[in-house]
Amino acid sequence: MKRSLFAVLPLLLIAATAGAQTIPVEVEIGYRWADVSGNENLYRTQINEREGFVLRSLSFFTSAKAADHFRVDATDLGATPAGALRVDAGRTGAYRLRLGYRAFDTFNSLPAFANPVLAQGITPGQHTWDRTRTMFDADLEFLSFGKLTPFVGYSWSRNEGPGTMTYFLGSDEFSLGSDLEETGREIRAGTSFSLGKVSGSVTQGWRSLKSTESLSLTQGAGAGNNPGSILGQPISATKITRNSKIDVDAPFTNAYVMADLTSRIKLIGDYVRLSADAQGDETEDSSGSFVSFEINRFFLGLNETSSSRAKNDTWRGSARAEVAITDTITFQSGYRSEHRELQGSGLVTSLYRDTLTLGGLDPRNVQEILFSENTLNRDEDVLSAILSARVIGPLSLRVGYSISNQDFNIAPDLAEIVVPGSQGGDFSRSVNTFDISATFSQPLFSIGASLRDDDADEAVLRTDFIDRNRVRLRANFHTPGNFLRAGLTADNTNQSSDRLESGFSAHARQYIADVEVAPIAPLRLRGSYSQFKADSIVVTRRPETFALDTSTYAEDGNSIEGGVGLLFAKASVDASVSRFENDGSIPFTMDRYRLRAGYDFVAHAGVVLEWSKDKYEETPAFGQYDAKRVGLYLRLRP
Amino acid sequence: MSTRHLMIAAMALLLMFGAASAQAQAEEPAAATARCSDCHDQAKAFLSNPHARGQVVKNDVENSVCETCHGDATEHMQTGDKEKISVPRGRKGSDETCAMCHDLTSNKRSHRMGFHANSDAVSCLSCHSVHKSKEEPLLAKSGTALCASCHTQAASFRNRPYTHRMGGGGMTCTTCHEPHGRPGKDNLKATSSGESVCLGCHNDKRGPFVFSHGGQEAGGCTTCHEPHGSSNPRQLKRAAVSQLCLECHSPIASTHTLGSQPPSFHNLTQARYQNCTTCHTAIHGSHRSPQLLK
Repeated sequence: MKRSLFAVLPLLLIAATAGAQTIPVEVEIGYRWADVSGNENLYRTQINEREGFVLRSLSFFTSAKAADHFRVDATDLGATPAGALRVDAGRTGAYRLRLGYRAFDTFNSLPAFANPVLAQGITPGQHTWDRTRTMFDADLEFLSFGKLTPFVGYSWSRNEGPGTMTYFLGSDEFSLGSDLEETGREIRAGTSFSLGKVSGSVTQGWRSLKSTESLSLTQGAGAGNNPGSILGQPISATKITRNSKIDVDAPFTNAYVMADLTSRIKLIGDYVRLSADAQGDETEDSSGSFVSFEINRFFLGLNETSSSRAKNDTWRGSARAEVAITDTITFQSGYRSEHRELQGSGLVTSLYRDTLTLGGLDPRNVQEILFSENTLNRDEDVLSAILSARVIGPLSLRVGYSISNQDFNIAPDLAEIVVPGSQGGDFSRSVNTFDISATFSQPLFSIGASLRDDDADEAVLRTDFIDRNRVRLRANFHTPGNFLRAGLTADNTNQSSDRLESGFSAHARQYIADVEVAPIAPLRLRGSYSQFKADSIVVTRRPETFALDTSTYAEDGNSIEGGVGLLFAKASVDASVSRFENDGSIPFTMDRYRLRAGYDFVAHAGVVLEWSKDKYEETPAFGQYDAKRVGLYLRLRP
Repeated sequence: MSTRHLMIAAMALLLMFGAASAQAQAEEPAAATARCSDCHDQAKAFLSNPHARGQVVKNDVENSVCETCHGDATEHMQTGDKEKISVPRGRKGSDETCAMCHDLTSNKRSHRMGFHANSDAVSCLSCHSVHKSKEEPLLAKSGTALCASCHTQAASFRNRPYTHRMGGGGMTCTTCHEPHGRPGKDNLKATSSGESVCLGCHNDKRGPFVFSHGGQEAGGCTTCHEPHGSSNPRQLKRAAVSQLCLECHSPIASTHTLGSQPPSFHNLTQARYQNCTTCHTAIHGSHRSPQLLK
């Protein structure tokens, strides 16, 4: 309901502009009813359109001496999963102000996800959240300084709300309730400049993130996820509280400069540098009956404090030249270099209370102090060249080639190493990419094709490709007057690796056909069919037996959609129906129905009716819902 | 007063200021000279068009606004002949009008070199409706629907059950992608501090962390996530979490890859171990746990 406050905006505008008929204002505001059967948590996770007042849209424009343009646009504020409001105001030659507000309801609560106790009939999963993410941006440019355009900006964001998660402690997992508040801020200031043939921009910014999270044992979750005992000892918790606080400060500099060497040659350079510093503090107080194989003891409580610091220094610079060989043929070549350096250190002090050896001897408290630090360096250089011919008769052509070199150096602390010799080290990878695309255009149709081929010398991750190629074809056709429009798209991507005995191979294919017919002026019919198939295999090793296994993943989807649109002077109807079936690794079916009808009962006012239905079914059967929504909106154009 | 209330109050004040100013202006007398808007509704609609900024007088746009793109209209106004006025169309029209002001190249994007370089197949006017649009910046349709009219393969990702909130008050394709072309992979935008566009919203994943997830550092967010939609509720590339994790965390070859160590002796036949993130909750990075447990 917090965003419903914005529903007052259109009333405010209409009242204020009652005597100013020439001001363009459009408002659509009303109420939406929702009826959901089946798994409501699944519906809220995927769609989350709720019952309540909705400002469907608002557009407002005016001009005055102080602001020769003042425009407000708002969309989906109120009982919606995502809403936005934008203000763009300014005076030519004086200033420009842009404000933005966005709000998202993020909800996630599913029966099967992170749920080791699903077989016991306990749902939903143990990782859930019901949070809001709010974002605000303001940018002000000063346009009255001739060759300089100074600017300032401010961004603010907050992610807050409750959730649940699991915590591994004492050889069992426990469900915890979470209360999270994260606030990010960014201040930026700088100037653009235009000095004859040289122009550019310099920005200095400061970014911060403050995050606090309180976690505590969920009521009734003291038995943990493991119903059995360990070494004859049942594992349980009577209290777990964790409080964490993280502060990140990150100044950054962003600059670019562009120079017209001649009327046909441009040089462009840019540079960005970021230095982030994170400070983390966390405390934990837990009681119960636990066992730790790190200290080889049973224990009845844990008090832990940790203090950490992590730094990230990153810079990236690039330079490129664009040469206009003719008015329509251009050559570009550039070089980009990036360096990223991460350093982290942490001190964790753990006091295991009332411990016993696994044989039940030597009662005492045990304190463990762990100091660890690690570093990661990453360098990447990219050299690229592109030739673009926009017009060669009916043909346009683009050919590009790039060489990308990546180097990683990872030095983990001993504390991070599970199996010696496998965690850190030096990794290098070089990827050569060739891509070509061409489009043949005629007044009534166009055919385009693109090919991209990547060759790498090594893999850093097991699923990195060594060879990858993608072919895409696209064709469009329309009759004079757009009586008929039709399009075809085919897309095929293959990637594989013969390194590291991974047996990695992946294929994705997608075919789409769509057609639109307008037999008479107010009527438009449309339909489409698409097919998506993807499969990949990678050789893996099962962790419980160390036997080789093959990880196979498949998607096999078919989608069919149809729609009709009717547009008259006072009335309009738009309706569509679609069905998507996926027979892949997780089979599911989605049916969607949409209807929107509007009628203007007077010149400046009308009503809009929206009806929608979403039906989702997946296997196993607990993942399904049937959701219907009806919205009735008043549309005003005073 | 909370920051949210301050923002709401500030926006309301701005709106009232704008409305009051407009009302004052509406009381000024109308002009008597012939104007483009006498015949063309598009010219009236230009009142709120960015191209008219600074040239709106007495609730009408100056003829010079129209003539910027359409050329001298004197003869057309005298004769009413449609042939006596320039109507920019297609690539040529874009080159000769739009590009006069909207430079073909800036630091981050190139109208000349990008995938949407002004050509006979795609021109400025393919996407922008210059005279009237409800969609900023003068788009012919809403951002998502507009991109989907050609990029049907990306749009078909909406058929996945778990996606970003697209359309309406949510995201559009241009939240992440720069349609005019941009150096780098997939024409992706970056934050003002030069980081991955994902971190513009998901700023808690920025770190830096004492213990980072190597896959994220090496390949970025898309090592594990499918941003256009997925069958997994966290938009992972695999429906099952353990499948995704094991594809990297499997030691097989004599030469190791990043993260190829075995994940302990977890018994995947038990439900407890089938979702790795049940225990490895701090999967994006941790300040405290080398194994990303907290």
